[in-house]
Amino acid sequence: MTHSHSQNPTFSQPIIKGAGLGLRSSHYQEIFETKPDVPWFELLTDNYMADGGLPILRAEHIRQDYPVTLHGVGMSLGSTDPLNTDYLSRLKRLIERLEPSYVSDHIAWVSVEGKYTHDLLPLPYTEEALDVICRNIIQAQEFLGRRLLVENPSSYLTFTNDEMTEWEFIQSVARNTDCELLLDINNIYVSSQNHGFDPYHYLAQIPADKVKEIHLAGYEKKEHYLFDTHGYEVRPPVWDLYRAALERFGSVPTLIEWDTDVPDFQTLRAEASKADALMNQVTNKAIQEVAE
Amino acid sequence: MTDKSTPAMSLRAMQKAFYQGIFNPKDTQTLASLQNTITSTDAPLSPEDRIDIYRGSILGGITEALTAIYPVCVKLVGETYFTRMVSGYLTQYASGSPDLGDYGEHLAQYIADFAPAKELVYLPDVAQLEWYWHKAFNAEESGLSRRVQHTIAELGDLTEEQHANIQFCLSPSACLMSSQYPVHRIWQVNQDDFEGEPTVNLDDGGVALVIWRSPDYGMRIDVLNEHEHEFLNALHQGQRFQDIAQLPCAASINELLPSLIQMGLITGFNLIDKTV
Repeated sequence: MTHSHSQNPTFSQPIIKGAGLGLRSSHYQEIFETKPDVPWFELLTDNYMADGGLPILRAEHIRQDYPVTLHGVGMSLGSTDPLNTDYLSRLKRLIERLEPSYVSDHIAWVSVEGKYTHDLLPLPYTEEALDVICRNIIQAQEFLGRRLLVENPSSYLTFTNDEMTEWEFIQSVARNTDCELLLDINNIYVSSQNHGFDPYHYLAQIPADKVKEIHLAGYEKKEHYLFDTHGYEVRPPVWDLYRAALERFGSVPTLIEWDTDVPDFQTLRAEASKADALMNQVTNKAIQEVAE
Repeated sequence: MTDKSTPAMSLRAMQKAFYQGIFNPKDTQTLASLQNTITSTDAPLSPEDRIDIYRGSILGGITEALTAIYPVCVKLVGETYFTRMVSGYLTQYASGSPDLGDYGEHLAQYIADFAPAKELVYLPDVAQLEWYWHKAFNAEESGLSRRVQHTIAELGDLTEEQHANIQFCLSPSACLMSSQYPVHRIWQVNQDDFEGEPTVNLDDGGVALVIWRSPDYGMRIDVLNEHEHEFLNALHQGQRFQDIAQLPCAASINELLPSLIQMGLITGFNLIDKTV
């Protein structure tokens, strides 16, 4: 099932580095006025699917000054439905307009029988689900003419018919489809606590050469589980896991996700600065080790 | 890792049961079959609790999207009432598009049929206005397309015989509506930045409106007089100039046409020769 996509970096799809920020409408004005020193912005694909209006116009303005990535939930890559070609066509037009450095979606399903939940739902980790998602990723990559990044989900349940672990599933997805990975460190931590596995072991099993982007976010501690709300600062155990990820994968471009109760722009930038500082620490340590 | 005591459900069957279990939990048989596919551990959370987490997240997310599209309705009835009111809508109307912005089109009709809100006679029309605002905000740009083949500048190139076959095209954002109630005033006084007299007299009577996005991306709600309403309706229906000339609004066409072109509500034209 292996499929190859050549994707050399081009001028129009710049290489991104450092800690980027999710673009939120409440920050547009400040960004336009102050042109902050942010290395790149991530845009939520599904907020820019309309063919006209202010949102896409603003996105194009942002793109004039910054590299962008596109991150969506609408592809429903794990669904047993056929891919939605109308959605993919709209996404393709958006890619042509914004020339993003990366386009990503999730290892999850969102819809069935053409009915959408608009949420990331869990897959059983079976050979059957693996076939479905690999077929969909390959078809989506062919349709869009580019490689995708797929993100590990956070989850609140597992299935009795699981045949492999989540990291084994992800290994197979990456191997079978030629896609690359967006590793969400918060999701790994949330799921590890909800299902009782070792998040550091998970990290160690992820193919290092496939990880092209990292997400960080804040979870909410509920009575009996952790909930992935993207509404808080990144929690200390997630920073610890992030450090381990940087040691394993190098200084992968990292995004601070904050989608609910979005704070002011400076708070968001302060979170990104923490990620940058950790990236620098880990890089310097690695250089020192080589020098010694 | 497979629990051999539980017969495995196909992925498709699980996904269909999951959807049904979220949106129609009264279907207890399906819900039970879904619960059987979920690992039960010593943790305090049962499979049912775990499905509840997803149900809360999904329904909460969609409700939040409707709240963003219908802020005036939310203000008029309160967030708690709105959430309760739309919970039935979420069950009755599946979302057929991956774009959450496409969801909520039928809410005005749903509210009109929603018995507990019957006394709020104007609420369905306020909802309709808000949906049109949302659609206009996100509408495609004006410009030549399969739908609009000639620019206004090309009008000068036409022969007099061709004038009868002109079909003027409205901005793709233009939505027309009429109401028995002054819904534009209700909408206006419920804007966060509204300053002025906040009372609205329902006896002020009905209104016809065009909700649209101007070329400078400003959102507009324009109140239409009788001729304007008839003229825009005729354009909306794709009528040709020679047909419109038979309507009462033809008496005002010399003022209406240049004004609508100048403000950007008419964006181009087609030539429709019905003899061909």
